[in-house]
Amino acid sequence: MDIEEIKNRVKKVTAKVLEIDESEISDNANFSFDLGASSMQSVLLVASFQEEFNIELDEEKSLEVQTVSEAADFISTYIK
Amino acid sequence: MAIRAKIHKQNLVKIFNPKSIAVVGTNNVKGTVPYDILFNILKTEFTGVVFPVSPGEKSICSVKAYKYVVDITDPIDLAIIVFPSAVCHMALEQCGQKGIKGVVIISAGFKEVGEKGLEREKLLRQIAEKYDMSIIGPNCLGIINTDPFINLNASFARKMPEQGNIGFLSQSGALCTAVLDYALSKHIGFSKFVSFGNKVDISEIDLIYYLMDDDKTRVILLYLEEVTDGRALMQAARDVTRLKGKPVLLLKAGRTEAGASAAASHTGSLAGNDEIYDAAFKQAGIIRCENIEEMFNVAIAFAYQPAPRSNKVAIITNAGGPGVLTTDAAIRDGLQLAKFSEETTKMFRKSLPSNANIKNPVDVVGDARADRYNIALNGAFKDDDVDAVFVILTPQSMTDIEAIAKEVVKVSKQYSKPVYTSFMGEADVAVGVDILLRNKIPHYILPESMCRSFSKVYLFYRDLDNNPHTQHVFTDVDTKIVHSILDEAIHNNHLYLPEDEAGKILKLYGLPVVPGEKANSPDEAASISHNIGFPVVMKIISDEIVHKSDVKGVALNVNSSEEVRNTYTTMIEQVLQIKPEAKIKGIQISKMILSGEEIILGIKSDPSFGPIIMFGLGGVYVEVFKDVSFRVAPIDEIIADSMIKQIKSYKILNGIRGKMPRDIAAIRECLIRLSQLALECPQIKELDINPLIVLEETKGCFVTDARIMLHGLTTN
Repeated sequence: MDIEEIKNRVKKVTAKVLEIDESEISDNANFSFDLGASSMQSVLLVASFQEEFNIELDEEKSLEVQTVSEAADFISTYIK
Repeated sequence: MAIRAKIHKQNLVKIFNPKSIAVVGTNNVKGTVPYDILFNILKTEFTGVVFPVSPGEKSICSVKAYKYVVDITDPIDLAIIVFPSAVCHMALEQCGQKGIKGVVIISAGFKEVGEKGLEREKLLRQIAEKYDMSIIGPNCLGIINTDPFINLNASFARKMPEQGNIGFLSQSGALCTAVLDYALSKHIGFSKFVSFGNKVDISEIDLIYYLMDDDKTRVILLYLEEVTDGRALMQAARDVTRLKGKPVLLLKAGRTEAGASAAASHTGSLAGNDEIYDAAFKQAGIIRCENIEEMFNVAIAFAYQPAPRSNKVAIITNAGGPGVLTTDAAIRDGLQLAKFSEETTKMFRKSLPSNANIKNPVDVVGDARADRYNIALNGAFKDDDVDAVFVILTPQSMTDIEAIAKEVVKVSKQYSKPVYTSFMGEADVAVGVDILLRNKIPHYILPESMCRSFSKVYLFYRDLDNNPHTQHVFTDVDTKIVHSILDEAIHNNHLYLPEDEAGKILKLYGLPVVPGEKANSPDEAASISHNIGFPVVMKIISDEIVHKSDVKGVALNVNSSEEVRNTYTTMIEQVLQIKPEAKIKGIQISKMILSGEEIILGIKSDPSFGPIIMFGLGGVYVEVFKDVSFRVAPIDEIIADSMIKQIKSYKILNGIRGKMPRDIAAIRECLIRLSQLALECPQIKELDINPLIVLEETKGCFVTDARIMLHGLTTN
């Protein structure tokens, strides 16, 4: 799976969890600062990414991820 | 005043009196901090305008929300940031771009979580400095201003406190909520209520200075877990008390070792030595309290009542026992019972029943109703010898508690003397206590607490020192040579200075070191002894030996040249047997002082308060009796005097059982010279003069043993 595809799927999941329009999500959008993710929603996002990509993420490291691009890069390290 | 302090002074005015607030990072999830902060501001009917900033939300609590703070077109005085810690710096940067000068960061996840949090704080500080902003927090509960023209509860406390004249500053947010709940139940009002958390930018010092100039604040309460700049705190407290007569009450966590380590793990801070805190706070006029209850007991005494003229009290009671208990407590706390005038006594005899006690304490007897309290109160207030009135009540079947409470309120309002009350009990007296507290009459469940609180108020005003002391600086000292000795020792990694070098330094600072010299041979020792006169003391000199007597390196009362020669040889042999690795530099020969009192003087360098000066009764039991006093340098004559008089053994120095008083003036001068040495030579980590032998009045004193520990190259 290439990085662009991961990014697009991250945006889709984010839009669904945060209940916002996918078009509002840029590559550099910060989940909290730009998209308004609360701490609870951040945990939900991590769980949804795991489900979407069928992977097990390190939760502590996942919560340090700030932007859509960073999330795609991080997830790519778990996809063989 | 430092530049940042000046900026904070200006910005704090806007922080506490904003016309517009942005709540940055709020959301629509009820029961969360980001939501509750906005909700509380709206609920308490803040008199300005509020702008929620919440990406992804159209509105919160029916108020239009903005995606970014920079999207708001109106000017903003105060931003409350509630974003997760990882993005607080982004929000702060935008606040800076928007021109907001005052910021409160509520979010946790900074210094208290470790290295990463520290980095985040560093970033916040850099942004604040770039835009001349001031930050309260992070990791705090928020701020409250009860002024009805502002009505600001920018916190996640459950309720807004009552309006009052107490300013409360706390490093702990959680403690704030408990304090607010306690205060509400007792109708204790606040002017400002501030949780300042990790104090990344604005510290308790800035807030104390803000409250100093705040007309609505009469008393300042401070809860601290760590003192980062002890000297600045002392200066701020001194300024507030001297310039404005406002007391500073402090509750410092970490009194015990266990408490200190708990505080360290809780806020990532270190607690200091408690004796030093006690001494420093006392020196600065800070009233240190043991617990929250005591803090508020004293706070309401200051906040509700006028300052007493002196310490003579009149006690009015409806029961003999409590009257005696109150008398005992009053005397124990340094108060006096007023002596009623003939006129007062005559009036009481005429108006009170024959079985009443008309002397102080006045017992109006168990069946007393409000009329008898009225007579006793008026008589006591009018009496010239009375400085304050204590009213005691026990709930007996015929006692009209409500009417008596109202009478106390009514009568006390007619006089300018303070009144304190203790309606003893709980359930039955509750109605009366409520009347008293609503009318700002200090009330205490126990008369002992009442006496202690009044005593603290009385002592504060008695000791209020409006004249800054003049510091005497001795010019007959040679700082340059002392610095060269100390620097060379540090350069050679000699962090302990032996007696001969310590003596040299003390001599250069004008301290009376006992006559003596270093001898390098038995003959030289005999010649030195002959010159200074017998008897002499002989002490081994070696960098490797700190405790000389442990290695048989001390000989007292050596009386002849022959004895000196023999002692020289045997001492070196014995020392080398016990400590063969020691390099012997010679033997110090000193004049033996045969009579005098042994005292100890010392310096300890404290990371928070700087050099601390110690004084106490010396000798081998100094660590057992711990009869010592501490002060933060510099000390002047008045402070030195108070140090000397503070120890329990002062009576010994002052002459006891026919003994002549010792030379107190000489000790005083030594303390002041030592204070100057401590301030001018920061290389010194610790210094002990033990003993300083003090002779009879006018005959002086002698340093007979001293040691100096130095800071290493890395810490200095």
